[in-house]
Amino acid sequence: MGLLTSLLQASLSSCTPILLAALGGMFTYYANVFNIAMEGMMLIGAYFAVLGSYFFGSWVVGTIFALISGLVTALVFAFFAIYLKTDEFITGIGVNMLALGGTTYLLRNTFGVKGAFISPEIISLPRLDIPLLKDIPLLGDMLNGHPILVYIALVAAIGAEVLVFRTRFGLRLRATGEDSETTRSVGVNPERTKLWSIILSGLFSSLAGVYLSLGYVTLFSENMSNGRGWISLAIIILVRGRPLGILGMSLIFGFFEGLGLVLQNSDIPPQFTSMIPYIATLFALYVYSKQKKKEVLNS
Amino acid sequence: MKLLKRVTVSIAAITISFLIGFLFIKWQGNSPVQAFKALYSYGIGSWFSFASTLNAATPLILTGISAAIAFGSGVVNLGQHGQFLMGAIVAALLGAYLNLPGWLGITVIVLCGGIAGALWAGIAALLKKLYSMDEFISTLMLNFVSEYLTLYLATYPFLDPKAYVPATKVIQRSYFMHSFGMLNMSFLVAVVIAFLSYWFMRNLKIGYEFRMMGYNAVFAKTGGCAVEKNTHLVLLYTGFLSGLAGALLILGGTQHRFMKGIGANFGWDGVMLAIIADNGILETLFYAVFFGFLKTGGIGMEFETSVPSEFILVLQAVIVMIVVGSRSAIDYFGDRIRARFTVRKVVTD
Repeated sequence: MGLLTSLLQASLSSCTPILLAALGGMFTYYANVFNIAMEGMMLIGAYFAVLGSYFFGSWVVGTIFALISGLVTALVFAFFAIYLKTDEFITGIGVNMLALGGTTYLLRNTFGVKGAFISPEIISLPRLDIPLLKDIPLLGDMLNGHPILVYIALVAAIGAEVLVFRTRFGLRLRATGEDSETTRSVGVNPERTKLWSIILSGLFSSLAGVYLSLGYVTLFSENMSNGRGWISLAIIILVRGRPLGILGMSLIFGFFEGLGLVLQNSDIPPQFTSMIPYIATLFALYVYSKQKKKEVLNS
Repeated sequence: MKLLKRVTVSIAAITISFLIGFLFIKWQGNSPVQAFKALYSYGIGSWFSFASTLNAATPLILTGISAAIAFGSGVVNLGQHGQFLMGAIVAALLGAYLNLPGWLGITVIVLCGGIAGALWAGIAALLKKLYSMDEFISTLMLNFVSEYLTLYLATYPFLDPKAYVPATKVIQRSYFMHSFGMLNMSFLVAVVIAFLSYWFMRNLKIGYEFRMMGYNAVFAKTGGCAVEKNTHLVLLYTGFLSGLAGALLILGGTQHRFMKGIGANFGWDGVMLAIIADNGILETLFYAVFFGFLKTGGIGMEFETSVPSEFILVLQAVIVMIVVGSRSAIDYFGDRIRARFTVRKVVTD
């Protein structure tokens, strides 16, 4: 496989967790819930995916465990943010800290290890072999043989665009975000809509976690989300929530992370290649603010 | 009255958190009584353990007030971790390669560490000034960059080949900060800085402006504060505090060198402290000592019982959630109940 195809394949693989988490955060973005807990939800999902997969020897059980954990985390977030009226930003930091501390503790307590848990008994996600696609020379190498969640994420991005802009739920979601009291006056319960948006973000973020620990690699390590939740938050802000925009930006970020992975085989110290996604985020914010300035000047 | 309410809420919330911790330990099949006994005796039970608690609190005090001042001024500086690391690496390198007499050297190194943190936060300030980029994401991203940058420095150019993890050389003996009994001088430095910060936030014009920006940036601007310029100053000052925390950990801690993972969770701990303390500087100081107690006691707990010290990380997060949750719930539902009584009174009268 040439360098270019391996780079593109790595890009697609690296973009998936960011894409899934950003899609989750997209729902709360439209519902006007300032949700910064994707990082923590992802981490919890990654842990429980490994837990389920290891003890039941099945990636399906792992995924279900992760989804349940994502749901519970989302409910905790919603309980504080919606019903106790705690500041959303503070709740998000609390959830992230709980996720970081909780998974580190459980890693130690359940598996008896510090740092990372690796075992051949963790069953990873199956890789999809698409019959016709794999025969196409360049495209086949790039698109074929990824873990199943990669394809689900790509489809979900398009599905989310339809859901948000073409369905009743999407309309209510956006209306709640625009002005929650007005939606209440026409009979939509804004608390319930916000609750749903948080639940969806929990589910998507935990799927991102599943991909991290059962697809991208097959292990769980402390703080393995490593800022991907924050990057996905930056992406959402950059594209102002549009799902297809999120897809595009995630692919770009996946490309940079993939570039870092490919460059690890070169002489550049790995610490510098690992920095690439974060510097890319800063650069993207720079481009964004420049554009915004231009818009302000034009108007 | 307000103070009394706050103290009561905090005490109640911490008690509830400990109860949850109690049940959690029991559920995990360990003895909670033994665990908490160990927590007490290793965290505060003797002069030795109390001094360890204060030493453990030293970096937390500074990252905590860094976050508290930033949040209290309406500046979302979440870059304590990165600023801390920059302060630590600069202090470690200067400590290893700079030749100055002891006291002067310590002063210079500590100040340089702080300045390194300030400069690192200054990048975010500069990006904000030139391109109006939000400091919230930029400080976060700079955390990751500094994590890898310092790791690179400790792995390649300044690696001590005798160390078993990536680490720089041990700093010169003359720069080790003195301990009184068990208590390291760096704790006193941190406390003095905390009180100085408190004083200047209360009594100087610039501190007043910072606080006004936290209450309402638009109002502050209308009243004549240079909000943009002050935001940059807040970033620089809070970066300085975090950098100072890193430098003090190198000179006054136990490792005396920069090594992989030395930043631990000090940055986020600081953010949590500011949140629990509701951005009050003296409250942050108090809670930092409390977190120091949990950390020191947690190690003792692991030593005596089979509850791993990571349990403290969970307990800390639970405390944060319950304290802020109950605070906001009491405010919100308290207002509603009061409003209902008022309505009833008006209606029946």
